[in-house]
Amino acid sequence: MMNSQNVLADNEQLQKEAERVNVAIIGSGFSGTGLAIQLKRSGEESFVVLEREHSLGGTWRDNHYPGAACDVQSHLYSYSFKPKPEWSRVYARQPEILEYLRDCATSEGVDRHMRFDSEVLGAAWIEESNEWLISTANGSYLARVLVTASGHLSDPKYPNIPGIDDFKGAKFHSARWDHDTSLEGKRVGVIGTGASAIQIIPEVAKVAGKLTVFQRSAPYVVPRMDREYSTAEKNMFARLPHTAEKLRRDLFWAGEARFPQRRGIESFISRVEGLALDHLADQIKDPDLRAKLTPDYAIGCKRVLISNEYYPTYLRENVELETQGIERITENAVVMKDGSKHDLDALIVSTGFETSDLPISHRIHGTDGLLLADHWARGEQAYACSTVNGFPNLFIMNGPNSGLGAGSIIFVIESQIDYILGALDYLHQNGYTRMEVTQDAEMDFAAMIDRNAQGTVWLEGGCKSWYVDERNGRLSTIWPDFMSRFRDSNGVFRPEAYEVRSLAEQKV
Amino acid sequence: MSLYPDLKEGTVVVDGIDVRFYDSQRGNGEPPVVLLHGMEGSAEKDFWALFPMLAFTRRVITFDFGLPKDGQDLTLEHCVAQAQAVIEKLAPGSPVALVGYSFGAVVAEATAARKPDLVASLVLIAGWMKTDRHQLVRNGIWRELAQSGSSALSDFNLYSSYSAHYLCARTERDFQEIVEKSRRSSISPVVIKLSDNIDIGAEVQTISAPTLVVGCIHDQIVDVSHSRELFGAIRDSRYVEIEAGHAVVQERPAELFMLIDNFVAAPHATSPGDVYATSTP
Ligand SMILES: Cc1cc2nc3c(=O)[nH]c(=O)nc-3n(C[C@H](O)[C@H](O)[C@H](O)COP(=O)(O)OP(=O)(O)OC[C@H]3O[C@@H](n4cnc5c(N)ncnc54)[C@H](O)[C@@H]3O)c2cc1C
Repeated sequence: MMNSQNVLADNEQLQKEAERVNVAIIGSGFSGTGLAIQLKRSGEESFVVLEREHSLGGTWRDNHYPGAACDVQSHLYSYSFKPKPEWSRVYARQPEILEYLRDCATSEGVDRHMRFDSEVLGAAWIEESNEWLISTANGSYLARVLVTASGHLSDPKYPNIPGIDDFKGAKFHSARWDHDTSLEGKRVGVIGTGASAIQIIPEVAKVAGKLTVFQRSAPYVVPRMDREYSTAEKNMFARLPHTAEKLRRDLFWAGEARFPQRRGIESFISRVEGLALDHLADQIKDPDLRAKLTPDYAIGCKRVLISNEYYPTYLRENVELETQGIERITENAVVMKDGSKHDLDALIVSTGFETSDLPISHRIHGTDGLLLADHWARGEQAYACSTVNGFPNLFIMNGPNSGLGAGSIIFVIESQIDYILGALDYLHQNGYTRMEVTQDAEMDFAAMIDRNAQGTVWLEGGCKSWYVDERNGRLSTIWPDFMSRFRDSNGVFRPEAYEVRSLAEQKV
Repeated sequence: MSLYPDLKEGTVVVDGIDVRFYDSQRGNGEPPVVLLHGMEGSAEKDFWALFPMLAFTRRVITFDFGLPKDGQDLTLEHCVAQAQAVIEKLAPGSPVALVGYSFGAVVAEATAARKPDLVASLVLIAGWMKTDRHQLVRNGIWRELAQSGSSALSDFNLYSSYSAHYLCARTERDFQEIVEKSRRSSISPVVIKLSDNIDIGAEVQTISAPTLVVGCIHDQIVDVSHSRELFGAIRDSRYVEIEAGHAVVQERPAELFMLIDNFVAAPHATSPGDVYATSTP
């Protein structure tokens, strides 16, 4: 990890060169782009979106692997304030989602506020001027308010398998797909059977000579009710926008009604478990293979996946499911715990992302230079899933407890946008330049999350998932309540939890 | 019954009729919620989703209306007495949040009018106060099909209970489950008979409890106009419409839950006469 303190060492020089803005947003995915649009619509012009890559899009720019698609219906997995009647199908594929995001940015004129190739290397709170000093790979900024919208699934995580670096064949993470490497006729290995992997596996199987899937733990998979929308439907959504809004509400409330599955309610669990296990039984008749594909933990403990193509892939001659557990990797093979060996030409790593220890937290220094990652050394937490004591004028999007077990992250993102706009409005209306959540409010909020997390499948379902922080056993990435409660609790800014003041007050 | 873990079950006898009740027991200090089910029968059928959702935060009580033995008529007085007996047994001395659905809403109205001390707040879902011609036609068809032993009876129930859009948007598997459920359930002729003759408009106007009226836009059993009139009749009431058929407890249980949970937690957070807007998630 880059040492952000060094990056900010020549503070004065940086400040002199810095471009001054009211708001700086780190990241141009759904979070950063959505916030930028709503900021601009509110009349704010003084803001930048700092993006480390060469173009916008976040998740949907990076995950272009074969088969990439969303697994929440597109009419829900899109901004409510930018409806798209022409979604081609129920679950749009990656190119269509990326195009949607680009269209949103250009049609709203926020593309002009984006600064690409501008990786944020460090950010430091300047008490004297109540500003954030932000150093990027391409210039520095001074901003009254800093927002991290740098993603929760944006930094690929590689498995800690002995010898993995020795592998001489082609090797890449699913979120960094190498389209120059042809897999045609090759012996390919895929490590992982999570949400990305089950989209990739059926596609790779079609071209590879031999595909070996290395599974640590079998996922639950339910049918994917996907189809193309007809011209009549698309025109109807365009001509009668309330029909698309009704569809969005139907989808939202159907997802909301799944929450008791996560809270151990038998009638709910048995329905979804039956759906998943019947889907497996329908598609896989061989009892040995079926046993290997049957999960050994309570449903919902990890994400429930949706696919019609995943299971049938294992019926192909050229596909093998390996469940023995990997011992080590050599120059050209994966060696299993039982000593068996798979010779491979290419290895695709699909083992998720850095989630519990958010990389951006290693680059943000609050009051007294405190590093956010150090503040979070015993696990992440934030008041209203947004603000942290010791880090004035900082908002975190899609950070602690902002993930969902079943549902559209856009709902969370839009709630957080409303929260941030509410806070900005409050500062502006009252002439304040500094706001900091109190430690008590932050601790009370964390205690509330802990109470709600008790009795959920994530803590008690008997699986190892990225929802739980290994360092303290806390449920730190997921919201353990109904989604509507997220909006009630974290979508409306309430000043009571904050200490606020203006620069003038500070100087006296 | 598997409504909720650690459910307490028991029976009270009212007018010689056994009334089976269910109690989640643990609460948060706020008045317990008492759920009154609809015409088709049982607390579990109507509240399998709503009960656990509410029970995460508050104590929830429900019961199955008991029917008189030997084919005697069921009266509204019977039903009110049963609600009163369950409340007084399980939550003596403290008023409850009374939530009635469909026929249960009629009972809840009568209970709130006649026993105001029992009711801290009132939620009326797809209810009515005076049976109209549209309902009589439906009840007539129902009677005809039931008496002739027609297999179309369960399809008729399904057809009138659910909104067209909801049925069409189900997967084949979910639709079959709805069909099966509909075949297994039945309405008692004595309940139909009672529902022919509801006429309590004058009493409803005396209700003083803070009330939330919930109407269902696509309701083909109790037209949404009934809920709109209830909203007009009850002084301290607010109003919301849900995009669902009469089977709102199956079609939109989570939305219903959020409305109830927020309302009973702070009945006066909204003002009499307020109409809730439909929010877009
Ligand atoms: C394959 C895949 C499929 C998914 N499907 C769904 C789905 O169907 N439904 C759903 O709800 N969720 C889904 N998700 C979750 C998804 O991550 C979120 O829905 C959403 O896209 C997150 O948006 P974001 O803007 O918060 O983060 P991201 O999209 O990750 O964007 C973060 C941006 O910040 C930039 N950045 C990071 N660090 C820095 C830095 N230091 N300086 C400058 N820029 C930086 C990154 O380059 C990136 O562009 C999926 C995730 C993946 C990986």
